Amino acid sequence: MNCTESAKQGRIAVGRPAIARERARIAQTMLADCRFCAHDCGVNRLAGETGLCHAGAEAHFFCAQTEVSDELELIPTFAVALSGCDLRCDFCITGASSWNPRAGTGFNAQAMAAKANAALLHGAQTIMVLGGEPTIHLPAALEFVSLLPETAKLIWKTNAHGTAQARDLLDGMFDVWLADFKFGNDDCAQRLAKTADYVRVVEENLLWANEHSELIVRHLLMPGHVDCCWQPVAEWLAGNLPGVKVNLRSGFWPAWQAARHLELCRGISTDESDRAVRLASKFDLNLIP
Amino acid sequence: MKTRPNKTHHKSAGESQVSELLILPDGQILVHNLTPAFAGLLHELNPDAEQIASRVTRHPSA
Repeated sequence: MNCTESAKQGRIAVGRPAIARERARIAQTMLADCRFCAHDCGVNRLAGETGLCHAGAEAHFFCAQTEVSDELELIPTFAVALSGCDLRCDFCITGASSWNPRAGTGFNAQAMAAKANAALLHGAQTIMVLGGEPTIHLPAALEFVSLLPETAKLIWKTNAHGTAQARDLLDGMFDVWLADFKFGNDDCAQRLAKTADYVRVVEENLLWANEHSELIVRHLLMPGHVDCCWQPVAEWLAGNLPGVKVNLRSGFWPAWQAARHLELCRGISTDESDRAVRLASKFDLNLIP
Repeated sequence: MKTRPNKTHHKSAGESQVSELLILPDGQILVHNLTPAFAGLLHELNPDAEQIASRVTRHPSA
């Protein structure tokens, strides 16, 4: 695979559909020793084995529609949400579908591409692939890309918990990486998402994404986590990705199993929201709506 | 706090669309999976809400 074709903002691989088709084929064979996410399970998904995400070889989706709730510069977007995820965030707003890779409907790339093309014709400005977490379904995601117009603006909405192997397959395929930086320390990541070594992995992915595509970093403010999570995230972004677009989201929704954690049983207070914005200002972050 | 979302279903071009709405005790309204149709409805209900106004698409058929 030639990863040098890709580049930042407008450096999308020339001949993206054909390259995506080839990479989808490669990704499919890689399911035999799946190491797409940083859990690095190494299971043979083609033989029915499953790792921490529980995903098999076939992708499902639980939502595909045009939406306007994402970053203003990306909407309206035709958003395709693939079922299943490698993280286990107790507060996941789509927990039932994100924790179950067999939720929803079997994903047919051709049928979905037809829907996406229709959405573009009707005014959608971008096409977004998300989850759950789409990284665990790279073969399906890449096949989908192979069927989309080369000129379409494609968004990869990710938890930024993928491996170098996954990034190689994604290089040059998406115009924008819309990446979460959820937790500012590994203790919170372990307690709330049952994920170890979170911060190092996400930082590695963000640095890569910033070099290889346009990057927008999202942080969902969590009640009671301004100091332990948002502050270190903000400080790291200021020091390592100065000027990067950051969407600070204050609409925390105590969903799924958030009630397992006392501090997550409410929304964000005005004080927390104000304090978070002041921190962003202190670190001179480039906040976008 | 009641966390079970209210789901609204819109039919458009034969496709089912879903937006989820949560009203917090302080009156704050949170929306997940906001579709253009639902954004339009919320905008009609409260034209002064800037966060919704900025999302009312200029592409009504999207």
